[in-house]
Amino acid sequence: MTIVETRSKRGDASDGALGGRLSRVDGPAKITGEATYGLEYHPEGMVYAVLVQSTIASGRVRSIDATAAEAAPGVLLVMTPENALPIKSATDWLETPPSEAPYEPLAREVTFSGQHVAAVIAGTFEQATAAAALLKITYDETKAITSLDDPEAGIGIPIDQMTVEWGDAEAALATAPVRIEGEYRTPREYNVPIEPHGLIAEWKGDTLTVWEPSQWIDGMARTYAEWFGLPFENVRLVSPYIGGGFGSKALPLEHSAVAINAARMLGRPVKLAVTRPQTFTAFGGRPATRQTIALGATREGKLLSIVHRSANETSMKDIFVEPLGSVTSLMYETPNLSSRQNVVRVNTVKPGALRAPGENPSAFGIECAIDELAYKVGIDPLEIRLLNYAEQDPHAKKPWSTRRLREAYAAGAEAFGWSKRHPQPRSMREGNQLIGYGVAAGTYPVRRTPGEALVRILSDGTVEVASSSIDMGQGTYTILAQTAAEAIGVPVDAVRVKLGDSALPRAPVAGGSQLANLMTGAVHKAALAARDELIGLAINDPNSPFRNLQANTLVVEGGQIASPRDAGSGIAIAEVMQRIGRDRIEALRDTLPENLRNEKDHFRNFTTITTMRSPTEGDYSLHSWCVHFVEVRVDEDFGTVRVARMVSALDSGRLYNPKLAESQWKGGIIMGIGQALLEEGTIDSRHGRVMNNNLGDYLVPTNSDIPDLKVISVGIPDTNASVLGGKAVGELAIVGVAPAIANAVFHATGKRIRDMPITLEKLI
Amino acid sequence: MTNRTTIQLEINGQTQALEVEPRVTLLDALRDHLQLTGTKKGCDQGQCGACTVHVDGERVLSCLTLAAQAEGRKITTVEGLSGPGGELHPVQAAFLEHDAFQCGYCTPGQIMSAVACIREGHAGSDDEIREYMSGNLCRCGAYPHIVEAIREAAKVMS
Repeated sequence: MTIVETRSKRGDASDGALGGRLSRVDGPAKITGEATYGLEYHPEGMVYAVLVQSTIASGRVRSIDATAAEAAPGVLLVMTPENALPIKSATDWLETPPSEAPYEPLAREVTFSGQHVAAVIAGTFEQATAAAALLKITYDETKAITSLDDPEAGIGIPIDQMTVEWGDAEAALATAPVRIEGEYRTPREYNVPIEPHGLIAEWKGDTLTVWEPSQWIDGMARTYAEWFGLPFENVRLVSPYIGGGFGSKALPLEHSAVAINAARMLGRPVKLAVTRPQTFTAFGGRPATRQTIALGATREGKLLSIVHRSANETSMKDIFVEPLGSVTSLMYETPNLSSRQNVVRVNTVKPGALRAPGENPSAFGIECAIDELAYKVGIDPLEIRLLNYAEQDPHAKKPWSTRRLREAYAAGAEAFGWSKRHPQPRSMREGNQLIGYGVAAGTYPVRRTPGEALVRILSDGTVEVASSSIDMGQGTYTILAQTAAEAIGVPVDAVRVKLGDSALPRAPVAGGSQLANLMTGAVHKAALAARDELIGLAINDPNSPFRNLQANTLVVEGGQIASPRDAGSGIAIAEVMQRIGRDRIEALRDTLPENLRNEKDHFRNFTTITTMRSPTEGDYSLHSWCVHFVEVRVDEDFGTVRVARMVSALDSGRLYNPKLAESQWKGGIIMGIGQALLEEGTIDSRHGRVMNNNLGDYLVPTNSDIPDLKVISVGIPDTNASVLGGKAVGELAIVGVAPAIANAVFHATGKRIRDMPITLEKLI
Repeated sequence: MTNRTTIQLEINGQTQALEVEPRVTLLDALRDHLQLTGTKKGCDQGQCGACTVHVDGERVLSCLTLAAQAEGRKITTVEGLSGPGGELHPVQAAFLEHDAFQCGYCTPGQIMSAVACIREGHAGSDDEIREYMSGNLCRCGAYPHIVEAIREAAKVMS
């Protein structure tokens, strides 16, 4: 039975339907302190672990003298590689088979400063912290390569998979009437979620419970099961609230292995909270990057060639690629392009994903370069973007599913007042403040992994939605409640959403801005199935009040079931459930294709990323788009830069809840302002230490750094991109912010700053 | 250092006795000893504001306050902000309405700071709110909505 009903929407805050501006359903718990985060559980008998990190960047741990620490009050265990129980290596997220060698989360061989080398577990946090300071560690130190610019670092390792080439870019560049070239750089940047990483681990026999903030419950649970040789079902990972992640809480990390192992060794629950300074090396943020971009163009500004060479730093043991050509080869039409990338080994923690990995620094390069070209040929920066507008995906040679970028340019320019811009740099001022207007575009792909959801209609007429997917502030709880409410036909406050527990139906990673689209799709499917079953029973059950109607369908709306001919005389779902003697109607549905609908592939789908579809798989190229217009004010004497206002127009397709989507967009824009003006990991070139490993020295935006931000949605539903028409939201809006600010700073000052952040010493 | 002392803390109108080492911070006393986990630990070194509580009506960073220092003073945490019937404080209600948070982790600290900011008379303009709320970091970037929420709550509270 297929039942399709169109429901009316009011489109205001009271509207629980999908697309309405409902306030967060998890909001009351968060504003009253009732929301319990991973590190806030208190299992009986819990003890505390504190990590000890290396003070050299390269070499070996020669000795750890734990005598004093072990004698300190309350100390239960000083864990080192020598006494830790063995842990097995695990399959990684790409489904690479594990190594035969054991996995050692505490290092014997040191490859970066701040690497975990020991842990102290004691009865209280204070005792563990005090005892950790008593460890005497000696090292055999070797010379470290501390940064991308270290003379010893070399040019790195070519990553052939990143090469994109068409036409003959070098030749076309050589003969182009207009050429520009620049090197664009971004420093090491950190995720800095306000909730630090950490976990509580408890063993009961051969079952393990972990309370831990996680962007990927099933992926991390799989790793934990493999590390400790457990069946997947024996691991329960609980993560109902996550205090921010921005890419950093999706993969299993060393500190988690340490805590789980300590709990196993001691037979007691162990809590390990990574300290704020330790977070700067307990996982990697965005690696430092450099890109050389050469553009060849006609005298009118039409692109003839793009030659792009880039590199990002990676760690000594792993290869992390920040895809620096992702926007370069996508944003503009050009007959010739060559993009290649290397990675360079330095003594750092393995870099990781930070909001729009790849697209973010890639856009910084190309969006600054196109701005430079606009000045070179003497046309408006907005005009040059329209002149080189890509009507189809220039790399995949496929049509866009939707690309409302032209609409975004128009809407953003109008709202910003772009036409008031005087074209000459240093031509707009107010007192000693130089005023600059800048523009830059951004994009983020639509990633797609199949999902799964359980929807349950209960005897009291309420609805439950269950999934191991997570909400770290994107609004998952809220939009899934809206989805189920709309699909079934109940008020949104009758829906209860349970997330963040590996005991619930599976979910893939909350990353790549894919979760909202895949989960609304899965919940929609399961909710329609539950509704169909409810209507079927209401029509056919001998005890149903609708039995005598001889209807072939019924309407469900506002929690009432009614005949389509007499919609006003509904009977509450609860009453119908009671009459037909059912305590629940339940539908578990996934959106896996038929060929993956078997136990092995089902597990693989949710615990690796091997089934994630690329944005160009299929007939279309699927991407979100945005443009940012920025006004900066630069103090002529001091070189201080303030963002005075911003207008951004964004195409994320259909918004499931505009109120929450706007918040995510603004959050991305604010992180982009920090990236442009403040954020930079500073590394001591002698010892390879992150010198500003705290929130007083690694500057993130504060409230007073942020002006009014206007965001405009120009998206339309895109059902090629997702079942319900949404595209990427969370990672989109940061892309393009930093180049828009850099372009505005050039317009204000006439100085082109090609390395972020744009700090005052670069301007005076 | 294993000596413990018994201290009496008046938290949200209730006096509670707890036995702690003298070096235990007010933040850890609240979270680990009294299971009042609404107050958050973001940095443990006075840089993020997530641990903001009120002591004798003024906002303080509980991570830089020893539990013993708070003895004999009135402590209010986010759990004590709602009315006796559970009705939301105007600042809480405004945070919900204006979507002034995402992940929710800095939120209790933001709310405690916001209540104090209004009470101090520092919510006179958007710029003033921004300045006096800059000790509370929000990495999700809810700042514009926090400003809106405080502006609205200040009207209700005046």
